Amino acid sequence: MHSTGYCQAVEKAGGIEVPRRARYIRTIILELERIQSHLLWLGIAAHIIGFDTVLMQAWRIREPVMWLCEKITGNRKLYGINVVGGVRRDIPKAMHPELMGVLGRIERETKAVLDAVVTDTTLLARLANVGVLPNKDAIAYSLLGPTARGSGVAIDIRVDHPYAAYGEVETNVMVETSEDIWARTVVRIKETLDSIRIIRDCLAMMPEGPIQAKITEPIPPGRIGQSSVEAPRGETHHYVITGEDNRPYRWKARAPTFQNLQGVPIMVLGETIADVPIALGSIDPCFSCTERLETVDVRSGEVKVYTKADLFRLCKERWSKR
Amino acid sequence: MFRAKFKEAVICFSNPRVTLPYPFGPGAELPEGFRGKITVDQTRCIACGGCANVCPSRLIRFYDEGERTRMEFILDRCTYCGRCAEVCPEHAITMTLEFENSTDHKEDLYIEQELYMATCARCGRCFETENAIDKIPVRRHREGRNFVGPSMPHGGPRARQRE
Ligand code: SF4
Ligand code: SF4
Repeated sequence: MHSTGYCQAVEKAGGIEVPRRARYIRTIILELERIQSHLLWLGIAAHIIGFDTVLMQAWRIREPVMWLCEKITGNRKLYGINVVGGVRRDIPKAMHPELMGVLGRIERETKAVLDAVVTDTTLLARLANVGVLPNKDAIAYSLLGPTARGSGVAIDIRVDHPYAAYGEVETNVMVETSEDIWARTVVRIKETLDSIRIIRDCLAMMPEGPIQAKITEPIPPGRIGQSSVEAPRGETHHYVITGEDNRPYRWKARAPTFQNLQGVPIMVLGETIADVPIALGSIDPCFSCTERLETVDVRSGEVKVYTKADLFRLCKERWSKR
Repeated sequence: MFRAKFKEAVICFSNPRVTLPYPFGPGAELPEGFRGKITVDQTRCIACGGCANVCPSRLIRFYDEGERTRMEFILDRCTYCGRCAEVCPEHAITMTLEFENSTDHKEDLYIEQELYMATCARCGRCFETENAIDKIPVRRHREGRNFVGPSMPHGGPRARQRE
């Protein structure tokens, strides 16, 4: 996800053309990432509301995707597949049947679990009409990804500003209008199933050819590149200024949680305390992306805010002690 | 409601335990191409510095100590990206299947090697050779045979003396 964003930004800055096959492989990896991320979220969301059956089943379904990623890229989670100019590993024809098999299995099993839980009233009682985020607030706070799409905002970088192979493969924006946590859940499940279809299409349409562009010249310094990628949680933006010796001079990434967190106060307004965790969980938060930490000492009531600079200093101190 | 619960129960019963007894038993099989802890084959390395140049964690260090070049791999910062293995022209670095690398001792994640460099007869500086054929004597030199052959650029130190 982020590596695609960064590589695309540098490629734009350097004017590097990525081979078509590489763009298809990037798309496949991005969609595998979306599948595993959404299934992981489904499990955690269910766990937050105490419905551990779904947690167990969602993670069981997810595991083959992780093994597949490990087989394709060499690691379950830190794929390291992207390099500036293309991808590092190919997806050979011999791997297609296995990929198709796993996709078929997770599609079947996800549908089975979905079929079982949609009519489950305990689940609906905790998710439907809870954590409501009105459409106008979602737009006002510029919320992103499934959080916004659950409130009827049809935004998706894959369709709005196509990158990788999304311009060539049919991509659907999944929108729900009921504005509650259930809507966000449905958006994610629909996207999971759509991702499976996108990967199948990509495998069928994938052209032959090189997977890395030949880069003979160093990338000139002082160029600016920007790219946006639709991560499972929403838009990720990368901004790069190139520097001397083929190294970046400045690089800034903005992850979607920073934006989506702004919507949480509206979701929890007037709700019971018990609904706060699932409302927060419904944006699929990743707090490490927010560069700021607040601690509350419950005894003295003292609030301390750690900014990015503080966190950086603490990290450095910790490292120098080793 | 009861239909839903019944369907859930069917899914749970038709998928019995899937967790493996790891670490008491074997874990999942690792695929070919898995990126685990790196190993360095000292007899192959020509100290070109390619790995240090690409390592995103900057954990490969070079110390130029006259005729020797000392290399340090401080692997506690390794991200297992495999870039070093990919760029190594001599295939000296390989990614093993070893992933159980957590340890109490930092030394377990430390590789150090010293390489004797061939010396240029003209300037006396240590050099790396330019093409694959020229690398052969360098490698043999490395293995302690101290071979100086005619294919060395600039002749090599002993060839010079004889002249
Ligand atoms: S890239 Fe290979 S040959 Fe060059 S210094 Fe590193 S290990 Fe040695
Ligand atoms: S695997 Fe990556 S992080 Fe580890 S030593 Fe090699 S280049 Fe550096």
